[in-house]
Amino acid sequence: MSFTRDLGVLLWKELLDLYRDRRTLFTSILLPLISLPLIGFMGIALVEQQPVLVAVVDLDNTTARNQLLNITVSSRWLAGNTTRILEKFGYNVTISHSIDIVKNPDIDVALIIPKGFSRNASSLNNTARVKVLRRAGVQAAVRAESTIYSIINVFSRNISDAKLNAVIRLLGLNATIPALRNPVTARTEVVGISGQPVSRAIVLRNAFARILVLAFSFVVTPAASYVIDGIIGERERKTIELLLASPTTPQRIIYAKLVAATLLGLITALADIIGLVVYMVSVSIVSGVPFGVIIDPLLLILHSITAFFTILSTISIALPFITRTRGIRSASNIVSLVTIVALVFFFTGFFVDYIRLPSEILIPLYLIPFTHSILVIQGYVLGYVSRALIHLAVLSIASIALLIIASKTINTEKLLIAPL
Amino acid sequence: MTGRDMLVVNDLHKIYDDGTHAVKGLSFTLKQGEIYGLIGPNGAGKSTTLRMIATLIKPTRGSIYLNGVDVVKEPLKARKMIGYLPEEAEVYPRLTGREHLLFYARLYGIENIEETVEYGAEISGLGDKLDKKAGEYSKGMKRRLLLALVLMRSPQLAILDEPTSGLDVYASVRVRRIIKEYVSKTGHSVILSSHNMLEVEYLCDRVSFIINGKIITTGSPSELKARYNALNLEEAFVKAVEEHG
Ligand SMILES: Nc1ncnc2c1ncn2[C@@H]1O[C@H](COP(=O)(O)OP(=O)(O)OP(=O)(O)O)[C@@H](O)[C@H]1O
Ligand SMILES: [Mg+2]
Repeated sequence: MSFTRDLGVLLWKELLDLYRDRRTLFTSILLPLISLPLIGFMGIALVEQQPVLVAVVDLDNTTARNQLLNITVSSRWLAGNTTRILEKFGYNVTISHSIDIVKNPDIDVALIIPKGFSRNASSLNNTARVKVLRRAGVQAAVRAESTIYSIINVFSRNISDAKLNAVIRLLGLNATIPALRNPVTARTEVVGISGQPVSRAIVLRNAFARILVLAFSFVVTPAASYVIDGIIGERERKTIELLLASPTTPQRIIYAKLVAATLLGLITALADIIGLVVYMVSVSIVSGVPFGVIIDPLLLILHSITAFFTILSTISIALPFITRTRGIRSASNIVSLVTIVALVFFFTGFFVDYIRLPSEILIPLYLIPFTHSILVIQGYVLGYVSRALIHLAVLSIASIALLIIASKTINTEKLLIAPL
Repeated sequence: MTGRDMLVVNDLHKIYDDGTHAVKGLSFTLKQGEIYGLIGPNGAGKSTTLRMIATLIKPTRGSIYLNGVDVVKEPLKARKMIGYLPEEAEVYPRLTGREHLLFYARLYGIENIEETVEYGAEISGLGDKLDKKAGEYSKGMKRRLLLALVLMRSPQLAILDEPTSGLDVYASVRVRRIIKEYVSKTGHSVILSSHNMLEVEYLCDRVSFIINGKIITTGSPSELKARYNALNLEEAFVKAVEEHG
């Protein structure tokens, strides 16, 4: 009988069965729908929400006046401003006049204003040194630290402005402050590959692409377990023998399962994207960047096609092992090995720009199909569109080749009787 | 009532990968319209033989011809003529009985699907239950559905591996009636294995005792009873096994 007819009939049965298997459908859709926004939320929002305790220790607690320059500096201003600004950013701040407070293990960051601060800061020949203590290993403390540094910079700059103004006035110079303080300036612009400045929107798009790469891992797992269950499950549930006795080939039986698994994977991918879009909409609301700028429909299409071939190659690699294993549990273990490799790639793809890796590292990685999956998305987002399409072509050819190799290993007797 | 040779099995051997020599040189023929039974103790090689005829496993040696088609070389061609009921077969729990019939009718590329499914429904005798999920069926109902899947296409050779195993008396009687009616209606052939001597006596025109992968004797139930000087087939079988034990 014809290939397409056989496949159609077999697929009809697979899909009918899958459609009735609400639990599998539900979990396959729900998993990415919940987990992706959750990862985004945990990764960004929660880190920001993590309470950080800051102590402002004003050991000086004086106001000093420089008569000559006619300026006044108070340690209380620095302590007060720092407290106010940090609190506005959501930190918990305690002001103290005793160094003992830093012994409290809950304090993540401390700003210590030493004795003589106001006097030194207002003088013409001394600098005032403040100290920042930061607890090691607390990620959010780093951000509090940098906020404190910017407050101190502004504070220092204001005093410097006042001092320079006073000096210019005293000397009767025709001078401007920037000319005295910053005769040379530099500025960095973050740019894309064609050289134009990169907007906040593009930065967000890149973040979106990273999550898309991560999303492959949610697509591969349910599809792989569906195939395991589809093949070994039919053997264990004793429905396979009748099926194998029919005038179709074992290859076609498996292909129908692969198509069903891939469809399930694509449904999962769709749920992925919905989850991501929900997440990105909230990011766009928070960041004020229009949503349409972040989400590129072409990228989503590319993601779906890449997901399809990623699933296909994962399953094809696992297939010879699946068909030769007796039980669902041992098959799952073997397939886990393959999916863990996939997961490692996709998780690192979340952090690493594969496209930037030096070629002596990247070229050996080309042997693993998942590298191409990552490069399709990263390449496209970073503007290497033709390179992305080449990787998509390689991925699709590789996955089909793997499938052909895998299907050569399938035969009726091995499917029916697995080794112990 | 029986006609030309339709199944010719010659010097059939099966050695499994682990070295088990399950079938050791079986030869027999099956005529058109005949019901042929394989009787033997557990592990005698009945299922292995039936699976080889059903093209599911490859013989290590020997040949099987079905209506002149080399079953080993052309399994797909042979499968169209064969209906095989495995010893242990299950239904898809989430599919209804009717969906099973539809699926297998389509899979065999049958032309008049509706008629075939109707015939299958009739064989199964499941009535209204046919539209319920098969997972809800009793063992007997499942076995009848499976038998309907196998017979609805009117295969020229039905291979039934312990068709009534695990069924109660009433369910077994129904299944036997289905098989008997099938043969008398279509004139096709059946090869079956069984542990139930009553069943074999009721159904089979010819029986082989098979022990340790070898046929030790063949004949009609009455011939076998006479040969072993036994009152019934069971006694004949016990005597045969003791002789060859
Ligand atoms: N997949 C297999 N691998 C190795 N040996 C097997 C396999 N299947 C069956 N055997 C062995 O082959 C022999 C024949 O088994 P078979 O299932 O054909 O017997 P049977 O006559 O159908 O028995 P029963 O009445 O219990 O169904 C037995 O010794 C059995 O252990
Ligand atoms: Mg058996």
